[in-house]
Amino acid sequence: MSGGPFRAIGIASTGVTVYRKWLDAVSDNISNLNNATTTAGEAFRERFVIAQAVDYGSGNGGVQVGGIELGSAEGRLVHEPDHPLADENGYVRYPDIDLGSQMSQLMMAQRGYQANLSVVDRAYDAYQAALQLGRNS
Amino acid sequence: MLDDVASSAVRVALKGLAQRQRVIADNIANVETPRFLAGRVQFEDALRTAVEDGTSPQEVTPEVARSLEPTRENGNNVNLDHETLTHMDTVLRYQTMLKALDSKYSLLRSVIRGGA
Repeated sequence: MSGGPFRAIGIASTGVTVYRKWLDAVSDNISNLNNATTTAGEAFRERFVIAQAVDYGSGNGGVQVGGIELGSAEGRLVHEPDHPLADENGYVRYPDIDLGSQMSQLMMAQRGYQANLSVVDRAYDAYQAALQLGRNS
Repeated sequence: MLDDVASSAVRVALKGLAQRQRVIADNIANVETPRFLAGRVQFEDALRTAVEDGTSPQEVTPEVARSLEPTRENGNNVNLDHETLTHMDTVLRYQTMLKALDSKYSLLRSVIRGGA
């Protein structure tokens, strides 16, 4: 689907893929929100998907995941002496992920996903019309 | 018969509108890409000038330019509402052009059949 006569659908599908990956990253971040670790270990690092234009300037390259950035491994220390992973001072390490920011990213990713799917819908109509060319006599 | 001004103009318009569809798909795919400037396809003015001046519309090629509208914090200036509406408009124009070309072909077919 990378080239050919139905390129608009291929471009939209690159967008769908990137937003799908972003949704995956956000749900991974949220599901690991409360991962406790020992103070000696690293906290779960949140993932940021970096979108990058393919062949920028050509106008028909689409988008790809250019890389993943990781959040802080330091996290935050919480005093929970009863926790099985607590150190001698009673501290455990939690990831420093803000649920509010994750939720707004979730909405952005979802909106982008839907926008790209509706491009597929509209492009499909246009290509269908083109395929009808010469059918009516 | 098929290289008359009307048919050529319609074909150039179809080419330009198809490219505009691809560029809009690219803009929407990159709606959150940092430092991405929206692409704009221009061909209507050149096509109009060619038809008015009586030069061949086939010489007209669609041009892709980058939008200079103000960007958001991440250096991106794609406006999803604008792209969505322009895409709908482009698809309808594309279908209109297809209808025009189709009428032309029907006329030709009718001539070939001798009006039968």
